[in-house]
Amino acid sequence: MKRNALVFVILVGAIMGMLAAGKYLDRTRKHGPLKMVGNVKGLQAPDFDLPTLDGRRVKLSDFRGKAVLLNFWATWCPPCKIEMPWFVELQKQYGKDGLVVLGVAMDDTDPAKIAEFAHDMDVNYQVLLGTDKVSDDYGDVQYLPTTFYIDRNGVIVDKAAGLFSRDEIENDIKKILASRYNPGTAQTSRAAIVNAPAHRKRATKAAE
Amino acid sequence: MTKRSGILATVVLFLASLGLAQAPGDKQPYVTMAPVGNVQLQAGASTSVEMDFRIGSEYHINSHHPRADYLIPTVLTLNAPEQLTVADLKYPAGEDMAFAFAPNDKLSVYSGDFTINAVLKAPAKAAAGSYPVKGELRFQACDHSACYPPRSIPVQFQVTVVKK
Repeated sequence: MKRNALVFVILVGAIMGMLAAGKYLDRTRKHGPLKMVGNVKGLQAPDFDLPTLDGRRVKLSDFRGKAVLLNFWATWCPPCKIEMPWFVELQKQYGKDGLVVLGVAMDDTDPAKIAEFAHDMDVNYQVLLGTDKVSDDYGDVQYLPTTFYIDRNGVIVDKAAGLFSRDEIENDIKKILASRYNPGTAQTSRAAIVNAPAHRKRATKAAE
Repeated sequence: MTKRSGILATVVLFLASLGLAQAPGDKQPYVTMAPVGNVQLQAGASTSVEMDFRIGSEYHINSHHPRADYLIPTVLTLNAPEQLTVADLKYPAGEDMAFAFAPNDKLSVYSGDFTINAVLKAPAKAAAGSYPVKGELRFQACDHSACYPPRSIPVQFQVTVVKK
């Protein structure tokens, strides 16, 4: 009887495992291999070369030695709009310490409208025009806002999907600012990421 | 069941549930449309067609008249064949709701079920027959802490024009 119960439980577990595997394979078939899925902490942030609102081009690798807050957003996204004044303040507060906020606009619209929106929001950080490629490179970013916290060596220290509180954002900024730049280090191993939380919980009460 | 096998079973179930767990953003918002029965319309007359939509329980979409220009409204587009015209589209009023991400800022949204009415007309000279009306519903969905890119779902129903 006890043996039967154990077999039953293992069978249920195996079925759930197969369902999970099937779901992953289905996702892979639909979208192709995703470069960054699951836990991305400790991975080297994919480099990109994106246009800015004023026609320049910006690469992530331009900011090696800086702590980068990479925020995917869109003008039609109200939670993204909540974060923007915080990013403005935090860029002012921590810019001198090496923080660079980059906003990647995922709008499929006229860049002039994005520029107008950013102007109305008093954005003081660089806004880049996102592409499908950069979205794919970062794991098919469909859920906005999504923010990657990238340390001075280009390593992802944390990823926040959805809106988090200002305090949580500031804490993550402090983590990436605390990283030490190691010039010549092309890849940083996962072991180099210290104190990265194992799991991020989405905020339920973000406006503070 | 021995203590050891109980622990083993618990570990197996825990690992399996981890495999099924979805990260934020893994799920996609959805809006579905209930089938529309065959619509009968007399040549020279008009009729109202109700289209019922259902939004996934965790999501909301902007109403047809969101409260800010930067928000993407829900829009139904219908392409009628030559024998028919879409005289009017009547959207429901949005529900004013505040969300955790902006408790003091109400948005005009649809959630749960909503209905759009289309008024179709057939000219007096319309030939009798069955005609497909095709189109799409475009919407942009959010949940309590994030938003998804705009999407469209197809809309289709059949209209039978009869002579007087």
